[in-house]
Formats: sequence, C-alpha cells, structure tokens
Amino acid sequence: MTDLGRRIAKTLEGATFERIAAAGLANAELNQPSIRRSVLELGGERLGEGDAALVVSAGPSLRRRGSLERLRASGFRGTIVAADGALGACLRAGVVPHVVVSVDPHRGRIVRWFGDPALSAAPADDYFRRQEMDAAHSRDELGANRALVELVNRHGPEIRAAVATSAAPEVTARCAQAGMALYWWNPMYDDYEAAESLSRRLHRLNGLPCINGGGNVGTAAWVLAHAVLGKRRVGIVGMDLSYPPDTPYEKTQYYPELVELFGDGFKDAFIHVENPALGETWFTDPAYYWYREVFLQMAAEAGCDTYNCTEGGLLFGPGIHTVALEEFVQAVGKGS
Amino acid sequence: MKEFLKGNYKVDTEIKESVDDERSQLETEFERKALSRLGGSICFVSKKSFIWNGDQAAQPQLQGEAQPEASRADTEDRADAEIKGA
Repeated sequence: MTDLGRRIAKTLEGATFERIAAAGLANAELNQPSIRRSVLELGGERLGEGDAALVVSAGPSLRRRGSLERLRASGFRGTIVAADGALGACLRAGVVPHVVVSVDPHRGRIVRWFGDPALSAAPADDYFRRQEMDAAHSRDELGANRALVELVNRHGPEIRAAVATSAAPEVTARCAQAGMALYWWNPMYDDYEAAESLSRRLHRLNGLPCINGGGNVGTAAWVLAHAVLGKRRVGIVGMDLSYPPDTPYEKTQYYPELVELFGDGFKDAFIHVENPALGETWFTDPAYYWYREVFLQMAAEAGCDTYNCTEGGLLFGPGIHTVALEEFVQAVGKGS
Repeated sequence: MKEFLKGNYKVDTEIKESVDDERSQLETEFERKALSRLGGSICFVSKKSFIWNGDQAAQPQLQGEAQPEASRADTEDRADAEIKGA
C-alpha cells in the first residue's frame, strides 16, 4: 500500500472546482427562469416532528443492513432527507422522504435517480450497472427505470426537492414534472470573500444562499438538515464513503478514471482502513477518502449532534457518534 | 519564464523558453485536468461557513418572488400517509 491515494485526496478541493464549476454555472443559467423559491423557505415548513432528522445516502450499507426497512419499522417521525441517489431505494422500501437533495451537474446520469421517462434503451454508460449503489439498476436498467418513473410520479407531490442551481435542467424539469415543489440554492464554489469570487457573483445574479456542500450530495443533505432545517440531532444511514471488503475494484465508482490515470498501478490509489466498530477493513478511493476527511472537518464545526447509523463504511471519528439505527430513533424519541 | 522577464529596456540576448519548462507546464496542466476527473459533485470550501447569504446588503429578489405552493395541511397530512414518518 502506498500513500498515493491520500496524496491525490489532498488535491481534490481544487480538482472538484475544475470538474464541476463550468458545468454548474452553465446549468445555473439554464435553470434561472425556473427559480421561484429559496431553500431557506424550507426552514419555515413543518417537515416531520421534533428536532431530529435522518439523512439517507446511497452507500452499499443501505441494502446490506436493511436500513430503510428498519427505518420504516422504527416509527421514526422526524424529518427524512434523502440524497438523490437514495430516492429510488427509499420509495421501493415505502419510505417517502420529506426532502430530496440533488446537486451534481451531469446532464445524462442524475435524472436516472428520479426515473427518466425518456429512457428507451440501456445506455452505453455503465455508471449504474457498474456500481452497487442501487442493485435494481444493475439487474434490469429499463425495467427498474420504468418502475421508478411510476413511483416518483406517485409520490412526487409529497416530496420537496432541494435542488442546487448546478443541477442538470433535465433533473429539475423531471422533479417539477413529478409534482415536487422545488427549493433552490447555490453550491458554494469558492471563498465568497475573495475578489472575483464565483459564489459571490452567482449570489448577486439569483439572490440564493450559497451552501458549502462538502464534496458530495450526501454531505450536502446533512448540511441542509442542520444548517437550513435547523435540526439539532442528525442521523445518517447509507453513508459508507467506501466499499465493503469483498467489492471488486471494477465495481467502484472511479475505477475507469483511476485505470486511465495510473494503468496497472491503479490499485495503489485505493486506501484501506479498518473500522474499529465493525472490526472490518473497508477500502476507499481518493474521492471518497476526501469526502470523509471533509465530513470530519465539517462535523467538528456543526451546530448539531451527528449520529452515524450506517453500520458500515469509514465515517467515524471525532464529532460523530456511531450507533445502531434503532438506538438513534430511541434517543430522539421518535421525533418528539 | 517569459512572463517573469519584463523591463523597460532590451537585452541583446534572446530569451528562449526551455523545452523542459514547456514540458513541465504541459505535464502540470495534464495532471490538473486528469485529477479533476476524480473530483466530487459539489465543491467544499475550507474554513468557510455552512451557508452564506450575502453581506446583509440589499438582496436581489428571486424571480417571481417566493410563494410557497405546498400548504401546511399537505405536510401535516403526511403523518397519515403510507410511511407513518419513516
């Protein structure tokens, strides 16, 4: 094992800006005519009971631990905030989130998390088939998509979509088509106090708040739960930020990119870490490792208690309580 | 290199970019572009707050001005919906 993965992870704050800023700003321009509400208005709405929220991310533990089925059985009545990639799993399990969060600017992929009515053939892009994020997609892409279209259409009017202006217009249009109410925000692209700050320029353009997203939609959903909705106790399920020990490298999210960058040496970019609570060694790639480091940094500053109920993965450290889902639900009094 | 050599006089010797410098710049650029493919889907800005909503100066209004469409009754009715809160 080398330190290659950790060295790459240190570069990803800037690399992420390189990756998404141009696309995100282009999408913001396209989305502009559709913007009606600020995400801050969600803070004034009654979404669930009490001061607790549960963030649902789309990592492999969501299925491995049966988190959603257990959540449904637990009687939790607090606020449920789902990352877009977890929406399908939530609805299939009978869990309708109060809020779904979407941010990634990719114009072809992300709409699939909401069911893409325009999809008529399995795409060449193996993004969904390759990963374990949602097994239903890998078995029968077209059939799973059709079923998801129906589910999202049925439950859309019950769900608020907290969409970043960077989200693809295909995604925001799909949310609106399904009857979701859209609440908008800007991703914080850079230091808003800096001269020529993109965040500042974007805020001037559309008047929306800029949210520090933490690299991925799951972390953005956690930020929304405490910093926008004002929840003081925030649980998390499905946020592994890593891969289970038996996962083939080919099934990891950034596998094609790592092979292209490092050839046969791609394995050196993966980072293996033991989770002391599980006694298992999970592995992660530079991007997910960076998300983990960022989350730990943010959790130390957050005005909430964070409870990781994932029961898998590598999100542990100062500022994060590791508990079983039922313990969290009991501790927060089922939302009261 | 050329950008660092500026003055109000001319020198007799012609300054040439070294091939190594050019190659180094190209490699750095390639590396930067290549690594960007590993980045996330949203930025993280270290040492900044979770939310920034301007400097408390006059804020531009959202197009169409905010008009919540979902009624309070709609959210409260969710308690009786399929999931019973979960």
